[in-house]
Parts: sequence; C-alpha cells; structure tokens
Amino acid sequence: MKYVDEYRSPPLAKALAAEIAGLVRPKVPVRVMEVCGGHTHVIYRHGLEDLLPPEVELVHGPGCPVCVIPMGRVDDAIALAELPGVILATFGDMLRVPGGRGSLLEAKARGADVRMVYSPLDALALARKEPARHVVFFAVGFETTTPATAVTLLRARAEGIRNFSVFCNHVTIEPPLRAILETPGLTIDAFVGPGHVSTVIGTDAYRFIPEEFGRPVVVSGFEPVDLLQSVAMLLRQLREGRCSVENQYTRVVHAEGNPRALVAIAETMELRETFEWRGLGMLPRSALQLREAFSEWDAEARFPLPGVRVEDPKACQCGEVLTGKIKPWECKVFGTACTPEQPLGTCMVSSEGACAAFYAYGRLRRPQEEPVGA
Amino acid sequence: MKPEPERCVTCSDAAVAARVIAVEGDEAVIVADGVAGRVAVDLVPDAAPGDVLLCHAGIALERLEAPPA
Repeated sequence: MKYVDEYRSPPLAKALAAEIAGLVRPKVPVRVMEVCGGHTHVIYRHGLEDLLPPEVELVHGPGCPVCVIPMGRVDDAIALAELPGVILATFGDMLRVPGGRGSLLEAKARGADVRMVYSPLDALALARKEPARHVVFFAVGFETTTPATAVTLLRARAEGIRNFSVFCNHVTIEPPLRAILETPGLTIDAFVGPGHVSTVIGTDAYRFIPEEFGRPVVVSGFEPVDLLQSVAMLLRQLREGRCSVENQYTRVVHAEGNPRALVAIAETMELRETFEWRGLGMLPRSALQLREAFSEWDAEARFPLPGVRVEDPKACQCGEVLTGKIKPWECKVFGTACTPEQPLGTCMVSSEGACAAFYAYGRLRRPQEEPVGA
Repeated sequence: MKPEPERCVTCSDAAVAARVIAVEGDEAVIVADGVAGRVAVDLVPDAAPGDVLLCHAGIALERLEAPPA
C-alpha cells in the first residue's frame, strides 16, 4: 500500500541500521526516549531494538493516553455510567482500565450501560438515536484525539443536541515532557517526537526542548523506516554537536500544525489548573476542560462526580515505566500478577502501553532478564 | 473505519492513511486497507476524491503528501 510499503522496505531499514552503527561512538551509550506509545508499539512489533547497536538504548516515554489516566478518573467514569438514564461511551481500551472500583467492563457486567465507540462522533450519533437517554463520552487522549472531541462538541452545539456531554480527560504533551526533562539526573540524550500529535500542534511546539534543555528532537512517522531514520537523524545531531527540532515526518507534519484543529480545540476547551497523571503526579496546566460556553455539554458541570484520588496498587510500577526509570520486564508484577488479560496497571492495558507491547512482541526474546517463565 | 485489532484507538498509532472516494457535505467516504468508512472532514475542508488523509477517531487530521520519488 502506498505510504506504507516504502517505509517497511528491508533494504532501506538495513541501510539505516548500518548508518546508525556508524554514527555511535563505541562504548558511549546514547539514551533515546520515544515519547509516543504508538512508537513504542512499532519498536516492539518490528523488533527494531535488534537492529540498533548496543550503545543505543530506546527508553519508553509517557505518551500512551490510556496509561496516564489515574484510577480516580476511571472511578468517576464508572459513577457516571451508573447514573440512571445515562449511556457512557468511550474507546475500547478505556473499558479495561482498572479503577479503584474495578473497570468499566465490570460496571457494564453489573448492569451499567457502557458502550464502545471508535469516535466521539459515534457517541453523538448515539445521542441522536436515543433522545430519551443521556450519552456521556468519556474523552481521553493527547492532541491527536482532542480535535475529534472538539469537532463533536461544535456539532452538538450547532445541532442543539442536549442529551450529550463530554467527561473531558484530554491531556497535553508538553507538561509531561517538561516533568521528565526537569527530573534531577536526567539521563535521556535525545527525543523521538510524537508524529500524529504533531500533525495537530506542529513541530515548533517542541522548540523548548533544545532551547531550554539542550536535547535534540526528531518528530517521527510510525513505520519502521521512519523510526530508524529518526534515530539516525538524532545521532547525527549529537555527533555534529547540533541541537534542534527536526521533522522526519514531513509527509504529514508541518511546523505550525493544523491551524483549524487548534482553533476548534481553543474554541471548546481551556487548560485546567492541574491534573493528576499516573506516575507523574499532579502536573499544573497539563490537561483540558470544557470552556464555560460549553458547560451544557460538560459532564463534570452537569453531574456530581466522586472526584476522589485513588492510590495505585502498591505492586504496580507503571509510574516508573512511564518515566523510563525501569523497563517493563523489570516491574515486579510484569507477566505474573499483571497481564493483558488481567491488567493491574494501565501500561498493560492499551497495546500502546510499554508493558503490553513488550508482553505481545518482546517477552520471548529476553529469557535471562525476564521474570516470566517464557 | 476500524483500526487493526492490536492497535489502540485512543492514540496516534491507530491514525491510518485512507483514500477519499467521495466527499458528502462535511464527511468523506474513505477506503483504508480495502475497508470503506466515513470520516469528518471539518479540519481538512478542501479534501477531494483521490486525496490520502490521515484519519484518527473518526476525523481527518491532515492530508498526506506523496513521498519523494
């Protein structure tokens, strides 16, 4: 398929792997963080780590939107789903995320009306079809997903659909990156920037990373050749002593992003004072809430929510995985108490979660380090 | 338009390239990997048949440019 095959070409990948090997200094480690969970998934799925020299270590970042949602927000969603007359609609992966009171799937089993949708527009269509019910869309996601929610809200207002609201948990990419960059003893040398978030916010949004923190960034596409080329571009910057934001994903990402998407987001949403992230704690101005003008479609304004902070299970080390402190297989419960079938932590739920990706594609490759009887 | 089952629909990983077959109002009929679907084109309003769009969560985010030959 066009736009895919070119970026999965084995000869190209091999040439890039050779180029990368030539760009590292022997025995000098380079730690590269891929921010986006989509990249993590591709790295494991295509075995890209095996193509890199031992000096290059890929560290998985916080960019899986399911993985960063704290348990208390899942409990809030369950409380919404249990309200009489309410249909709670959300993306498939959110149904399995454990909260303090179990998951939305378990709430559904208890009788709550929970539906899976592929788009917030599908949730709006459900509201049109069920005028006697109230449909709440449990919105999660980074800037890639936020425009879909914004467009849905604009359509709901234009059509005057009142039996629809959004439980907004959209997060923004800059604050968690800052939190990681401000970690004392930061050992990340370079960043692979998220590709599809960048179609919306543009590459200029990452300039603070080289300018304030002295680390290069390359915004990357999602095919294996994209990622290998991005690693090569980062290594070349490091080798030449340069430090800037470069764009590998030029076929779809522009410096200024998609201005229409940014306008739709700004019209419907604004930054919250603070938001809790799994593994990173409370981060100021790191998530979005609906604007006052959209309070009629704001589930938090319309319905009482428990809003209780819930501590993660003690055994769960998602926070350390999300910030790159440990690898998935180094977590105490990886593959034993926590599996994709019975996830304890969020990183094991979404296929973009580092633990789920490693469980699916990488766990048989590491018999010595792996705690599971693989 | 459904993503591959092992992919996450909440994030970029499931953003897929899809070719526009027809535009009807604020929606486009698209085909991705042989599967037809519909996406909102509010954010790429000049989408036209033959374009390849990057689609995520039911909307088109951007138009793809042809890779260099």
